[in-house]
Amino acid sequence: MSQNTDLLTLRSVSKSYGTVPVLHDIDLSIRDGEFLTVLGPSGSGKTTVLRLIGGLEPLSSGEIQLDGQDISRMPINRRPFNTVFQDYALFPHMTVSGNVGYGLSVRHLKRKEIARRVGEALELVQLGRFAERFPAQLSGGQRQRVALARALICQPRLILLDEPLAALDLELRRQMQEFLKSIQREIKTTFLFVTHDQEEAIGMADRICVMQAGHIRQLGTPHELYYKPNCEFVARFFGENNLVAGRLGPVQDGQRPIETALGRLVCSISDQPHLKAAPDGANAFAAFRPEALRLADANDGDNRFSGSIAELAFAGSSTVATIMAGADDAAQRLRLRMPSRIDGSALKSGETVSLCFAPHEGHLVLA
Amino acid sequence: MSALPRPSTIFLAAITTLVAVLLYSPLFVPIVSSFFIISHGNVDWSSPTLSTYVALAGNHDILAALRTTLIVGVCTVVLSVISGTLLALYYHGRRSGRSILQFIVFLPFLMPPIISGLALLIFFREIGLERSLLTVVIGHTVFVLAIVYRTVLMRLQSMSRTLVEASYDLGASGWQTFWRIILPNLSSAMVGGAILAFALSFDETMITILVTGTQSTLPVRLWAMMRLGFSPDINALVALILMFTVLLCVLAARFLIPKQMATERN
Repeated sequence: MSQNTDLLTLRSVSKSYGTVPVLHDIDLSIRDGEFLTVLGPSGSGKTTVLRLIGGLEPLSSGEIQLDGQDISRMPINRRPFNTVFQDYALFPHMTVSGNVGYGLSVRHLKRKEIARRVGEALELVQLGRFAERFPAQLSGGQRQRVALARALICQPRLILLDEPLAALDLELRRQMQEFLKSIQREIKTTFLFVTHDQEEAIGMADRICVMQAGHIRQLGTPHELYYKPNCEFVARFFGENNLVAGRLGPVQDGQRPIETALGRLVCSISDQPHLKAAPDGANAFAAFRPEALRLADANDGDNRFSGSIAELAFAGSSTVATIMAGADDAAQRLRLRMPSRIDGSALKSGETVSLCFAPHEGHLVLA
Repeated sequence: MSALPRPSTIFLAAITTLVAVLLYSPLFVPIVSSFFIISHGNVDWSSPTLSTYVALAGNHDILAALRTTLIVGVCTVVLSVISGTLLALYYHGRRSGRSILQFIVFLPFLMPPIISGLALLIFFREIGLERSLLTVVIGHTVFVLAIVYRTVLMRLQSMSRTLVEASYDLGASGWQTFWRIILPNLSSAMVGGAILAFALSFDETMITILVTGTQSTLPVRLWAMMRLGFSPDINALVALILMFTVLLCVLAARFLIPKQMATERN
């Protein structure tokens, strides 16, 4: 199966609870075999998207298509999807193998067949030794893997994961991220992963769908979202960023200037027709990552401004400087990230420095 | 352990012991005296004997009453567990009507038994139902239903909603979900509720007196015997009932207190 065919398509899907709308006209295509992460703050509607696809909630309007067929009204137990729940939802009165084999035994498969496939699934998640344990006897990470084995044993077209790593501690979460990703590559099944943690999203996803307040704000690869956010929300939510407000100037071959409190900043607008089409004088932000900002030397002409260093924070491999730039009455708080050096930082707290970023590393988002 | 100075600890211990002895020692009097012969109001401590138990075994009135009690108890348990569980399942997660239902279910349990009993008696008369063991069973079921309903509902509420969702998600039908997920998770609450229901039915007196026909249950029989005078085999009977009740309570606690399935299996 190639990643270019669409497995599942949501067409203007809306959902309200009573009179409270939680999803507004969502359009989303999930490609066959991809790892798609739905990322958003709590209350953004990301879990609702997953529950609608899984069939745990009915749509208010719109349509969900699987291979082009409308499945909006297909009952949950007939949909070829399985869910890994946030609280794992393991059946406490069944052993690990009872839990994992449940999806097969309710389909009345032969005992031998079930035992064989349960064995395989437990091997896949490295829990072969724990087959006869009860869920209460397992650690959080082990329960997580039981839930995963239980979901994938039915060979679903799509596995839905609802913040499955939220309850694990940091180290275990890292391990599970790699583990999930490797399993997904191995069984070549489409994963839809819901999370509020953008680091988790960057690390695992082929594509990320950023949601806010019931809308999809942007859908793209982690790289696209990081370097070409299409709105202020994504620019701020996805990774650390510097945003400086201003008004757009006239387009000049693939770049566009913006007049800000730091002066005139020039940013790239390649491949972004909506920025090219925006009228002169429109409100916008210049966005540049902390690692794009650097100390200016004599040759640097563009996007140059001065600022004073308010704070220096050593963060292991990198050092982050908090900088107040621009005139005192309109000072902008910026961050600069640079690799740490054993002989200390080139910067000193309180120092005034000249800073710049390259136009192709800057980016514009409309306000 | 305790932050109190030593003399006051000793004082508290003494008070506690005294209260315990005063409150609970009467319970042991029948047990102890059931092993001795009482003649002319004096207990003959010299020779322990099982003669009261022998006499009890020959007391056909008492044994008949005991059998009646057991029949009523078992029927009550079956009826109340089935209807209590169905009610709990129906009203779990449903807002409308639940508080009214709970009020009605709890009413007979909270009202003075004499009022419940009279209401039932009048009801049976109105609909022309002869007083019999059937009316006793109905009366007991109405009385203990609240306990079973509450016990099962509490378990349902503590059960994660995602368990049911997970079952459907894995392809199970509603029927499969009920038999394989919901019922097994309720079963210990149902057993616990059943034991409590049985214990309540076992010593229910007031309602029983009002709605029974010719047959007496054990408490009713005992009550009648006490008016006529005290016979030594009653000690034996009380001792047996006491032990049986303690056993039931221990069992009920075992089923109702959440346990880790884990620790038993390993």
